[in-house]
Amino acid sequence: MSEPFKNPLVSTDLSKGSVLLEVDAAVYPLEALYGASYVFIDRAFVFLEKPNEQRYRVTISPKKPGADEAALQALVGEFSNELLSCAWRAQITQANRAVIEAVTLRAVAGAMGPPSLSELANFDFTDAPLEDPLGIAMSWEEKYKKKDKKPDAPVAAAPEKTAAPEKT
Amino acid sequence: MNLSQLPKLDTSTQAFFRFRSLPNTKTVLLTGLEGNYLVLKDDEFARFAQGAVEKGSPLEKRLSDANFLRATFDTQKAADKWHDRRRFLDYGPNLHILVVTLRCNESCIYCHASRANMDAVQTDMSKETAEKAVDLIMQSTNPNVTIEFQGGEPMVNFPVVKHVIEYAREKNKAAKKQLEFTMVSNLSLFDDEKLKFLLENKVQICTSIDGPAHLHDKQRKMPGGSAHQTAAHWIKKINQAYETMGLDTTLYHVEALLTTTRDTLPLWKEVVDTYAELGCRALFLRPVDPFGWMEKTAQRVEYPRAEYMEFYRNAVDYMLELNRKGTQILERFASIFLTKILVDDPNFLDIRSPAGPGIGQLGYNYDGKIVTCDEGRMLYEGGDPSFVIGDVRTSTYRQIVGHETVRAMAIASNLDQQPDCVNCTYNPYCGTQTTHHHKNFGSIFGRMRESTLCAVHKGIQDYLFERIGQDDPAVMDVFTKWTTVRPRDHFLQDAAKG
Repeated sequence: MSEPFKNPLVSTDLSKGSVLLEVDAAVYPLEALYGASYVFIDRAFVFLEKPNEQRYRVTISPKKPGADEAALQALVGEFSNELLSCAWRAQITQANRAVIEAVTLRAVAGAMGPPSLSELANFDFTDAPLEDPLGIAMSWEEKYKKKDKKPDAPVAAAPEKTAAPEKT
Repeated sequence: MNLSQLPKLDTSTQAFFRFRSLPNTKTVLLTGLEGNYLVLKDDEFARFAQGAVEKGSPLEKRLSDANFLRATFDTQKAADKWHDRRRFLDYGPNLHILVVTLRCNESCIYCHASRANMDAVQTDMSKETAEKAVDLIMQSTNPNVTIEFQGGEPMVNFPVVKHVIEYAREKNKAAKKQLEFTMVSNLSLFDDEKLKFLLENKVQICTSIDGPAHLHDKQRKMPGGSAHQTAAHWIKKINQAYETMGLDTTLYHVEALLTTTRDTLPLWKEVVDTYAELGCRALFLRPVDPFGWMEKTAQRVEYPRAEYMEFYRNAVDYMLELNRKGTQILERFASIFLTKILVDDPNFLDIRSPAGPGIGQLGYNYDGKIVTCDEGRMLYEGGDPSFVIGDVRTSTYRQIVGHETVRAMAIASNLDQQPDCVNCTYNPYCGTQTTHHHKNFGSIFGRMRESTLCAVHKGIQDYLFERIGQDDPAVMDVFTKWTTVRPRDHFLQDAAKG
């Protein structure tokens, strides 16, 4: 168990068996806060609040009762490390997204290989097509057709109910 | 060396590089994207970082040859090498672990597999389950397939082992894989008839030796006898059988693995001597993992990784000394990293980016559950099904390897998304284990600075690059031998004969 530390952003409440951490909203993205909180939900109850625009407030209560000051400090210290790790990972993932996606795609596609004939035979081609709210799957002609013209029959990949042409 | 110590930096002349001051030396290691490297003295690094390398100097030539200068950067060479080092991405699982039983006649203090008592017959894999597993294995997109029998002690369920070998060979007539069989056994249930079957069917045999007899027997309890004495007896007998068959015993011999506990640390010399005396030419100095019984016994078995690294350095220094005196013995971690550094990626599934679970290996539990990897089944036996990705009775091959857990693990073990790893000098050679992080941190991403796995990988590569930087011809000669991969064709099954 590490030595208890003092930090103005941390306060423990032994009567409630919980520790509170104030998080600067300008330093940490909300996604990182969710990510770090989730890692702890098997051992603690984690409550998130936003008391004002500048701060998030995290309250962590160990599920196992009887935590002392040092145990609560260790828990919030570990939480802070995880929060930092999540925040930095979020940035790295954004910066390296292309290479991460390319490598993952190559790895999973390489492992899966092409579908077998029996898998193709069992494929349900009657499924509704993917939703396409931005109209990406629409043809150029359909997307930019004149409004007074009688509408064409919808193409299979972009049914009218999901295709939302941009306003012109 | 610290960049802040340099008065002026000029970043216009260098190609991409990561750097690390090697501990205990006055040298700095550079590595590039494609796994190129160079060890520079502090003053050489200072000139490199300040853009002050003299034209036509030997240093400029070394930097240029190693592809660290922007003016002479060979993009095609770098791209080709980057792709070559990741060619494993184009193929599916080649290692398929069959947990044919959890029953085991030995009881190890650190048992990672959550062994069951000998009367727990409900933990035996049935022939029907085994056949369904083999049917899936033969669908792998990888032309090389190894079926590894594990337990518990796999010899306890020998009828199913035999059945799998015969069934897989038959199936392979159509699949035409480069098929191999491996067994991880404590050897104590071997007899002449079983050994004959395993030798005739070219099954590679791997065992555990925890060092000298007193340590091995303390950690691996075998009722009514000495686990070490029994294992040593069969290692010698199997190695003799290989010799009788006319096989080169420098290539064909029983492989043995060490699990390093707290009690092992002071015994580095005795451990190496034990392996050398048994004729084991490879020693894998593995630290303990956090799985299985380690949850309960860690207080007695675990140790700080700094102490492990001292043990490791002593043991490998001693192995280098033995090699210089003519005893051929290698350390497996060193061999894997050196092959990555000096030659190419050897596709060791636990140390690559992304790592092997799901895309390079699969595990088939005795009850038919399919897991991403060996550690996944260890967690499953401990009550954590996070890495279960299917069932041999209901899942298709593509459902298994395309499972969302497999995708998540491929992303989480990609070092280019991992804090610390993304900037680490050892990024081109390293790898991480999502199951390890899941167990230790509650997240498959983990935190490298607190990870024992990272401490070990970094410590070993520090040691190896220190040695490489010293450029001692005798050491480099041994290191080069440790990277030489000689194919063991005898263990390949003949697809035509089945």
